[in-house]
Amino acid sequence: MSADDLFGLASAAVLPGWLILILAPRSHKLGGRWVWLDRIPALIIPFGLSALYTGLILAHFAGAEGGGFASIAQVRALFASDFGLLAGWVHYLAFDLMIGAVMASQMDKMGLSRLSQAPLLALIFLFGPLGAFLIWAPQGSLRVFGKGAAA
Amino acid sequence: MSNSARQLWLLAAFSLAMMAAGLVWAAFETRLFLNALVWIKPFKFALSFAVLFATLAWAVDKMSAPAQSARTLRWTIAVLAAAFWFEMIYITLQAAQGVGSHYNTGDLYHGVMYSIMGVGAVSLVVGTGVIGWAMLRDTGAKVHEDLRFGIGVGFILSTVLTLITAATLSSMPGHFVGIPPTGAATIPFFGWSAAVGDLRPSHFLALHAMQAIPLLAWAVQGRASARAWIIGGSVGYSALTLALYAQALMGLPLVRL
Repeated sequence: MSADDLFGLASAAVLPGWLILILAPRSHKLGGRWVWLDRIPALIIPFGLSALYTGLILAHFAGAEGGGFASIAQVRALFASDFGLLAGWVHYLAFDLMIGAVMASQMDKMGLSRLSQAPLLALIFLFGPLGAFLIWAPQGSLRVFGKGAAA
Repeated sequence: MSNSARQLWLLAAFSLAMMAAGLVWAAFETRLFLNALVWIKPFKFALSFAVLFATLAWAVDKMSAPAQSARTLRWTIAVLAAAFWFEMIYITLQAAQGVGSHYNTGDLYHGVMYSIMGVGAVSLVVGTGVIGWAMLRDTGAKVHEDLRFGIGVGFILSTVLTLITAATLSSMPGHFVGIPPTGAATIPFFGWSAAVGDLRPSHFLALHAMQAIPLLAWAVQGRASARAWIIGGSVGYSALTLALYAQALMGLPLVRL
């Protein structure tokens, strides 16, 4: 498969995960048989993408001329080839979704309504750490002010 | 804590988080929009939302349990949350692209988004009044009778006054009455014009009736004359708001600097 095909495949693969996180009921509201529903975004899709990443990175990281982690120029060299860039993109997709699943469960613990969870999850989808940044601050303040336990 | 109060406290906390985002944004931002750094507008809205939701959360926290779980209140809070996220995210994303949000009707997309922002803003304002009304009716609220009256009146007054100022604001091409000369003086922090009429000072007072009147009620609660104080204070506050509104419409700045 070409790098473009794999790019399209990986990008399409995360969408069901995000739709489940944003729209589907959480398994703890549905009973034990539905645990797999939570695991699709938390585990199954990130696992598949991590497998794809593993293959890509092992086959391509050594091929990048002047590649490394010590300077912007070296990192740019890592991403200079389509396959290097694809590996980097798959890394984003996999880890953002995984963090989205972690954050969804933490927002459940905060007792945040699903309505308010949806835009925050969309922000993690689009801007990963920005969404996490917004969620962590209120979560910390809940802990500090002792309003953490759901009513 | 009731779920209703929790949602509102969390929205206040997310507003604070948006302010924090604005401060880290400020460290890297150099672009200007209408003579102000682009991160400032989202920051000011986040501050305003933090104050709004903290006030609402405090009031709802004082309601009786049946009032807190009433369907009207829960739906009102859901509408407030939806309006908050829409306004906050759209304003921020527009600012991050260095373009306007309010008054941006440059093409169909931005025109539609500006209209939805109007719906969102009206929802926020009316929602505040609905919570005030619920407070007035909640005889079991965990506050002094006078304070309950002050919260209810303050919230509803805020809704009425804001609808007046905001309706005028949205019917005009911008918030100025007159054209401020380039580099004209503004009032520090607020950015209101100190050279021509600006509707935002009256809009500011209108919005903050919901803090001012409950604070007054808190100060006078328990006195025989408490109701008279609250009603008189509300009338005076409305008069001041409308005076600033009239002053702006006449093209006069709040103060000339």
